[in-house]
Amino acid sequence: MRFQYVLSEITTGLRRNLTMTIALVIVVAISIAMLGAGLLIRSQADTTKGYWYDRIEISVFMCNEYSTGAGCADGAVTDAQRDVIRQTLESHPEVDEVFYENQEQAFERFSEQFDDSDIGGIITPDQLPESFRVALQDPEEYDGVVSAVSGLPGVQEVTDQRQLLEPLFRTLDGFQLVAFAITVIQIVAAVLLIGNTIRLAAFNRRRETGIMRLVGASNFYIQLPFILEAAIAGLLGSVLGVIALFAGVELIVGRFIAPNLQFTSWVDSADVWAATPWLLVAGVLFSMLASFITLRRYLRV
Amino acid sequence: MILFDNVSKLYPTQNQAALDSLSLEIEKGEFVFLVGPSGSGKSTFLRLTLREEKPTAGRIRVAGKDLHRLSNWKVPHLRRRIGTVFQDFRLLPNKTVFENIAFALQVIGKPRRQINRDVPAVLELVGLDGKEDRLPDQLSGGEQQRVAVARAFVNRPLILLADEPTGNLDPGTSVGIMKLLDRINRTGTTVVMATHDQSIVDQMRKRVIELEHGKLVRDQSRGVYGYTR
Ligand SMILES: Nc1ncnc2c1ncn2[C@@H]1O[C@H](COP(=O)(O)OP(=O)(O)OP(=O)(O)O)[C@@H](O)[C@H]1O
Ligand SMILES: [Mg+2]
Repeated sequence: MRFQYVLSEITTGLRRNLTMTIALVIVVAISIAMLGAGLLIRSQADTTKGYWYDRIEISVFMCNEYSTGAGCADGAVTDAQRDVIRQTLESHPEVDEVFYENQEQAFERFSEQFDDSDIGGIITPDQLPESFRVALQDPEEYDGVVSAVSGLPGVQEVTDQRQLLEPLFRTLDGFQLVAFAITVIQIVAAVLLIGNTIRLAAFNRRRETGIMRLVGASNFYIQLPFILEAAIAGLLGSVLGVIALFAGVELIVGRFIAPNLQFTSWVDSADVWAATPWLLVAGVLFSMLASFITLRRYLRV
Repeated sequence: MILFDNVSKLYPTQNQAALDSLSLEIEKGEFVFLVGPSGSGKSTFLRLTLREEKPTAGRIRVAGKDLHRLSNWKVPHLRRRIGTVFQDFRLLPNKTVFENIAFALQVIGKPRRQINRDVPAVLELVGLDGKEDRLPDQLSGGEQQRVAVARAFVNRPLILLADEPTGNLDPGTSVGIMKLLDRINRTGTTVVMATHDQSIVDQMRKRVIELEHGKLVRDQSRGVYGYTR
């Protein structure tokens, strides 16, 4: 292989199609940035889900003197009733841990939450319910636990946060799906655009390639400069795309979202670093693949 | 060297065959003129020989190879044994004479040492020594065609195919090119030349194959361009 020949062919090729090369680089850059953004959105959604899954609890509120309702016919929960409830929870296979919160503790938490307001002065501890906080083995499996305790005497109400968080999870799933769809569309568009660019480059050099075919240059030799050209443009483009991604994460997430919305941990440049090798490889491979497929159709023997 | 056995070629868009059951054999070292009216199938014959096109029917053997059994990736190796010259020269305008010829060797992976040895030698053979640094548009038509011949011959092919190589040249210049092709033929290279140039065919007195509507109508050793015309 005459390395020097290939090299000079590539540089003249890149220079001659400078505008096309720039277009190629930009297309790849945008695609890679989008692809990276898609990946980050996926992992962000996963982290957020995980964060909330870990905190999902079932709260079993028990009757106090003021309670009304079917389970509270006997007034405040008795010690015996409380033990039954605790027994039921602790023996349930889906339950991971059970915490007990008495009326004093509930009052403290309540006062903390409403620190600045005067409510603390109006409410007294005996007005609040005591409760069990239940952490689950698998946050998806809350139904069984809820139905196991909700009918028991002394239980006023069972709430599970899973129900509260359901809309959030659905939104996150939606985000993931949209991100995935955008990524796929972006890749298809990029492959088509790269193919088109390479086709134009091949058309611009049809004299050379025609002569090469006539004198018996192998297909590999004819196609190599184009494919390497695409690879170089692909590499440049994906480097730019990755830089854009870093900037985007730093500016949008790091400066704006993360400091203001602290309910989960956010993606940061470490995640971008982790994705960088894959993005660069993807950029180069897709460019080469797109040009290879195009050339197979337009530079036949 | 070239064997056509009952070869027909029908282009997809045409309804009349460009070649119609053509059988002929060209031996090693022969010089053959291919004549016939426009559209009679001369260029098609050359393209089939080069395996630029595949025949619709029949068998072709070139340089000992059955073309219908030759896989695509081996076609370049066949073409390295065949030189080609065209009416329109087909030089690269931004490369010098030397670079144009060297290009043909570079792209088949020949080492620089061989290029630096063979290109000056072939330039001398075609009478262009001293003009190696000119660009094609700084040359006359005849000189450009000499460059094209040099490029076709630099790899010492077994066969030289020429499609109306004098079609764009004045009679005097044409004679020069013919002398060159004759000299190449005497090195043992088989030469097949499609042409409309009556005086050249009549002067050279080589084998003449005449086609009409893709059929062989005359095959004459030491022939002339045509009896009837
Ligand atoms: N690529 C092609 N597609 C369709 N038809 C073609 C193609 N090339 C040639 N033909 C047809 O095949 C027939 C033979 O063409 P060919 O070029 O072989 O003739 P020729 O003898 O070389 O003519 P000329 O003397 O004008 O060069 C013509 O009818 C032509 O129109
Ligand atoms: Mg022709």
